[in-house]
Formats: sequence, structure tokens, C-alpha cells
Amino acid sequence: MSQNNRFSDEFLNAFVDDQLDGEEKDRAYLEIGQDETLNRQVCELRKLRDLTQHAYRDLPAPPSATTAAGKRRAGSRFGIAACLVLAFGTVLGLQIDAPRLTATAPAGTTAVAPVVAARPATTASPTRAAPRTVAATSVPTVGATAASDIRNKVIVHIADDKPAQLEQALGDIESLLRYYRDSHETARVQVVLNGRGIGLVRADTSAFAARIARLQKEYDNLTFAACQNTLERLHAEQGVAIRLLPGVIVIDSGVAEIMRRQSQGWTYLQV
Amino acid sequence: MRKVLAVMALALLAIGSGCASMSTGGKQKVVYHINYNDEAQLKAALGNVQNHIAAVGKDNVDVKVVMHGNGVDLLKTANTDLDMQQKVVNLKNEGVDFEVCNNTLVKKKINYKNDLFDVSEKDIVPSGVAEIARLQQQGYVYIKP
Repeated sequence: MSQNNRFSDEFLNAFVDDQLDGEEKDRAYLEIGQDETLNRQVCELRKLRDLTQHAYRDLPAPPSATTAAGKRRAGSRFGIAACLVLAFGTVLGLQIDAPRLTATAPAGTTAVAPVVAARPATTASPTRAAPRTVAATSVPTVGATAASDIRNKVIVHIADDKPAQLEQALGDIESLLRYYRDSHETARVQVVLNGRGIGLVRADTSAFAARIARLQKEYDNLTFAACQNTLERLHAEQGVAIRLLPGVIVIDSGVAEIMRRQSQGWTYLQV
Repeated sequence: MRKVLAVMALALLAIGSGCASMSTGGKQKVVYHINYNDEAQLKAALGNVQNHIAAVGKDNVDVKVVMHGNGVDLLKTANTDLDMQQKVVNLKNEGVDFEVCNNTLVKKKINYKNDLFDVSEKDIVPSGVAEIARLQQQGYVYIKP
């Protein structure tokens, strides 16, 4: 992480937005190409930019106003557009609640998951508050789809590959699942793997294949999800397609998935 | 792009602060997650908590430190390391709760009365990980220092 201090967030944003002059840009390309962390950061920023632009494309074109007054109003139009983007994202997020397979999506595209459980999404923005304020003892009954009946939805994030840590992480995941089962609570646990964390579910290197298979068999509410960005990077670096353990799904971006799930009321922890 | 992000962040913040004031009367609720036992890292983590409280004032924040796995070593160390012990005492005086995972106690055969610093029955939770999820459902913000 220490290396990416070379570039500020603003600089990276400017790079992604193509606002740098030639010389700066050359330097940035060189440095970013050599630094994995920076490279990943830039990928995330690009994805965010693409998502924003994608959302903009769906908006009706604003009335053209090139006067000075129009320019002054541009700020507020930005605000309205941003709110629409937010609402769009929330609604989209609400409708996506199933594990998805995006392995076949071509590189560079943003995978949009199939909408499996379209629930009544009456209002967009205040929904984020709902899961947070639900009392721990009550099961939400509105919108009686399978997913919303599940009381405990947990994202477990693994981005490291130290064997001792993975060992502990798998222990944590198992004890969490066992806790919910023993206390007869409905739960879904999704393990998101990115960066070095991918090592846990690589068919060729994982030291925990048998244990993962056992967990998958024992708990059908457990999903392992690998980050496609990481898989593509590994593919590019190592020249071989990364094979994953059986049952491991691929998601477009680990970081984006974590953000999406949290905005849907999932809780998050990193082990 | 940056402008849009800034506006979006503001919108999120507005929604977020709306929720916070609705559910907690303006008091921040935070859960700190500790599952490692590197001493320097543990002390830095407690330093983070201390700084957090100093920044917002102890009456404006409700902090819970949840330890499981190797993280329970924090309170084991506090039995012998006076610096660690002092940090824990100071934080407890400021209202911080230290919660210990029972699964870990059983698995590592730890007797909390003898092996851990200042732990009583009420500090034990059945599963540290489930506790972190539960607290987030109640509006606690997750921080892994």
C-alpha cells in the first residue's frame, strides 16, 4: 500500500478522466503499469466512471441551455443527475439478490445480473435505512420473497492468502454458519474473494479444497464468489486461465459486490 | 466526474445522517473488529479507538470492541503487559465494551476468569462473528483497524 502514496486520489481520478497533460500521462501509464495495487485502483475508478456514464445514458437529455444563467444552473443539474444515479443504483441493487455467473461476460463490460426476484420497490432512497432499523428480534414480512425472509445476510471478505489466516477465516465462516443453524435463524453467507484471497479457491493451488467442498455440502446457504477483475489480472500475468474449485461463482468486481450487498442491507466483515 | 461523485457522496451522507439521527439520537455506534494478535497492531488498533473517542467525545459515541480467534490474545496480553492493560482500562472508563467470543474460548480452552484481563460473564458473546453481524443490523458501523 505504501507505494500508491506516489499518486493522490485526485491525480488518479484525473488520469481516469483523461484530464492529464501528455507528460504526466506518460509517467502515470509507466508507473501504473508496474504497480499492481495502483493498477487495481485505476480499474476500480474506471469501473465507477463507466457505471456513472452508463447511468447517464439512460437519462433524458437535459434541455440545452448555453447562456450564463444556464451554466450557473449546471451545478444543480449535476445534483439532480447524481440523485437519479443514486436512485437508479438503489433500485437496481434491490432487484439483484441472487448469486450471479458473469464468467462469460467479455472483458471490460459491466455485467448486469439477471433479475431473479423482483420485489416491490416502492421508494428508492430511504430503503437503505430499512434493514438497519429492523429490530433484531423481528423478521421483516413485507415483500415476501425468499431473499427478504432471510434475516441474517453476511458478506465475509477475504483478500489475504496467509495459510494461518485462511485457516482462521474458514473456522470463522463455519462457526458463523453453525451458530445460525443451531439458533434456527435464517441466514445467507457469501464469501467474497479478491486480490490474494483468490488463492483460497484456485483449483491448482488451494490448500483447503476438501474443507471448502465439505462446507459447501454441509451448508447450502454458503456461497464462495471470486472477483473477475482479479481473475483477469492473474490470467494476464500468468498466461493461464485460472480454474476455480467446483461451486465457486464469479462476480464482476469484489469491491463493487461488497458495496452493492451493503446497500442491500447485508452486513460486512473482513477476516 | 469528481463533481458528480461529490454530489453523490453528499446525498449518501444526507441519507446516512438522517438514519443515524433517527435510530440513535445522534450518537455514533461503532463496532471495532479484532481477530489478530500482533501486539503492535493491537496497540495501534486501541490507539485508533482512543483517537476516535477523543475526536467525537465519549458521550457522542457507543463503541464495542469484538474479539475472536487470535484477537482474544489482546486481553491475554493485557494480563501481563501493563501498557496494553492501561489502554484497555482507559477505554473501559470511557464506556467502551470489550466483547469476547465464546466459540474461541471453547476452541482454545481459555478460562476467561484466569487467562484474560477483566472479563466477566456479560462480556461473553456466543459467536464473535455473529455478534459483529448483529451489531451492524442494529446500526453499528463496522471498522476493522
